[in-house]
Amino acid sequence: MEKVLTDFVKALRNSNVRVSPAETLDAVAVIDTVGYEDKELLKKSLSVVLPKTPDEKEKFEICFEEFFSDEIKQQINVDSNKLSDIKDIDSDLAKKLLEGSQAELMLSIADAAEDAEIREIRYFTQRSVFTRRILEKMGVGKLEDELMSMGSTREEDFPSELEQELRNQLTNLRERVSDYVQQQFLLHGDVSGEQLREQVFKSMNMAQIDRSYLHEVHSLVRKMAKKLANLHSRRKKNFKRGKLDIRKTIRDNWVNQGVLFNLSWAYKKVDRPKIYVICDVSGSVGAYARFMLMFLFSLTEVVSKLRAFVFSSNLGEVTNDFKDSQLDEAIEKALQKHGGGSTDYGQALTEFVSLCLDEIDKKTTVVILGDARNNFGPDKANLMKSINERAKQVFWLNPEGKYRWDTGDSVMTTYSAYCTKVFQCGNIEQLERVISTLLKTAI
Amino acid sequence: MSDGPKKIIKDITKGFAKHGYICSEQIATAVYLASELEKPILIEGPPGVGKTELANTAASYFKKDMIRLQCYEGLDESKALYEWRYGKQLLYTQILKEQMQEVLEGAKGLKESLDRLMKFEDIFFSEDFLETRPLLEALTSEKGSVLLIDEVDKSDEEFEALLLEILSEFQISIPELGVRKAEVKPLVVLTSNNSREIGDALKRRCLHLYIPFPDAKLERQIVKARVPEISESLQIQLVNFVQGIRELDLKKQPAISETIDWAKTVILLNSDELDTKLAEDTLNILLKHQQDIEVVKKEIPALVSSATETSDGKSLN
Repeated sequence: MEKVLTDFVKALRNSNVRVSPAETLDAVAVIDTVGYEDKELLKKSLSVVLPKTPDEKEKFEICFEEFFSDEIKQQINVDSNKLSDIKDIDSDLAKKLLEGSQAELMLSIADAAEDAEIREIRYFTQRSVFTRRILEKMGVGKLEDELMSMGSTREEDFPSELEQELRNQLTNLRERVSDYVQQQFLLHGDVSGEQLREQVFKSMNMAQIDRSYLHEVHSLVRKMAKKLANLHSRRKKNFKRGKLDIRKTIRDNWVNQGVLFNLSWAYKKVDRPKIYVICDVSGSVGAYARFMLMFLFSLTEVVSKLRAFVFSSNLGEVTNDFKDSQLDEAIEKALQKHGGGSTDYGQALTEFVSLCLDEIDKKTTVVILGDARNNFGPDKANLMKSINERAKQVFWLNPEGKYRWDTGDSVMTTYSAYCTKVFQCGNIEQLERVISTLLKTAI
Repeated sequence: MSDGPKKIIKDITKGFAKHGYICSEQIATAVYLASELEKPILIEGPPGVGKTELANTAASYFKKDMIRLQCYEGLDESKALYEWRYGKQLLYTQILKEQMQEVLEGAKGLKESLDRLMKFEDIFFSEDFLETRPLLEALTSEKGSVLLIDEVDKSDEEFEALLLEILSEFQISIPELGVRKAEVKPLVVLTSNNSREIGDALKRRCLHLYIPFPDAKLERQIVKARVPEISESLQIQLVNFVQGIRELDLKKQPAISETIDWAKTVILLNSDELDTKLAEDTLNILLKHQQDIEVVKKEIPALVSSATETSDGKSLN
């Protein structure tokens, strides 16, 4: 029975429920106490040990129902005595279908499936291919040929009893194999297709991601942001050990009759970082800004203060839009209001400096996202310098490939002189890496 | 284990009901497995669905002591595990100094005094000076106990790590004394409101139970058990009304505890039927945010009419 359980655990993992080996052992212990007989009880019991979040519980329900569905296909009994002309058939498969037992048939399906390398099944679109492949390995082709020839040679219009029977058995077999493939797909495949999609999205150029996938990308971004938040929220709790806190030491040591037994130290709590983001949302870079903002606003847990500005020619603050409304809406709104138009980095920097240069201090990180294509306008690099002097660090993220920097109207080198670090940031994977660095160094 | 698990789970459901806690089959199964496998249960769910109450009821059902540890930020081992009685230890050293004279009297040379000193019993670090805190208390309890670690999500991550040894091995290492192992393993219940994600290591060691808001049938049973003086029709109306509210988009959904409070209020006001005015007047018991109250206020007539309608339909059957 353990095989059933491990298979089930495998199916669970495929549908994105994280199950550790220790939890599998727990599940074995659970089954030892409650047994396999009562399905409802088994489900309730396993749902306590295997899935560990409400979300996983839902997936578990679905997976359990699918895996332990007690629909067993009834075998159509064949009275082989009635079929006198059975010896006329050559096909092995036909003989197996007519004379073999249920168990033998299942076994030969499993064998054929092994030959067809069913383990390689990954995507649900492959199911019919594998079904066909297994059937062929079992010798369906030959049987079909024979049935064809039987049909063409017969004199009367009605198919013979044998032919009828074989046809029935063949349909039955097809169903059975397709069920088997479905089951194997649950075990080996990427059931939700999520892994594949995530992989593709992560490495795809952000500007190329179709709008219709935005929702899914958003959930991916949220997942990545959560991971980063978990990683970095721990860091903020690291205290810096400071001087001896005499008042606290005396107070704590009253119990020791005033003998200073336990020393207390004054701790300095490490502040969470302040981040100011300036995004270019003009035509070509707008798409990148969307993901950048998406990512950052999913990180509010670890960032104490986040202010976002967008510009194409004029600068506008969008922080409040993001706080009040849904992320998707806010991004649309920001792009609509400020997007388009020709880029003017000089103008945007001037406005940013007049707006909040005073607020930038040694805890602040300024992140600028843009391609540094300034339409040959004044670059006002001196403003970048003054920002750089006040801030802890300045990051520049450029979505263009490095080989295109400084070509045409791009003034990347001028600006990068005043940046702590410059990154190329074209896809979500790169974006994640940049933000991880950002969080690591911003504290 | 002569009885089948099914029967024991039924017994637990019944036993809990006797103590005024109506539980779904899922909850009873989790309690059964926790006691059978001797594993801790981690209970999650929105506030007010009876997570803490479950531990209380389990304690009285299994006739064990209830030991509660409320978690908060900054909770550390000296408050959760044990602490030395420093004052007494200092006094002890003073007595020791006086005694020392007698012990060492007549000893010749350093070696002999040292030998005598070594023979002298040392109890500076011993049970006598150990102040037990909830976790150690739960492990040392002779007749077993129910240990409730309430709102683990409020504690720091370091504290979570501290719990790992206790939850998986049921033991505590005290550096000065060695390992203390539980004679009778306590039933451990952890609750979390999900204000922060609990670590995987902790989750892995626990059974996980999610208690959602109850469906109408279960909620009716709970209200009946908790507010027995309520009339059948009123009770149905109240529950339907609350279930209706939960479908709206609110900042904080009313939980079971709020339904019970509301039912008590309505009884106190001597009303025997739900109407728009009554609902409007007492809404602040169900909802704790002004925004939510405003949202629901608009819906009250519709909610009241649907709540009373369905209850009429029920009584006809």
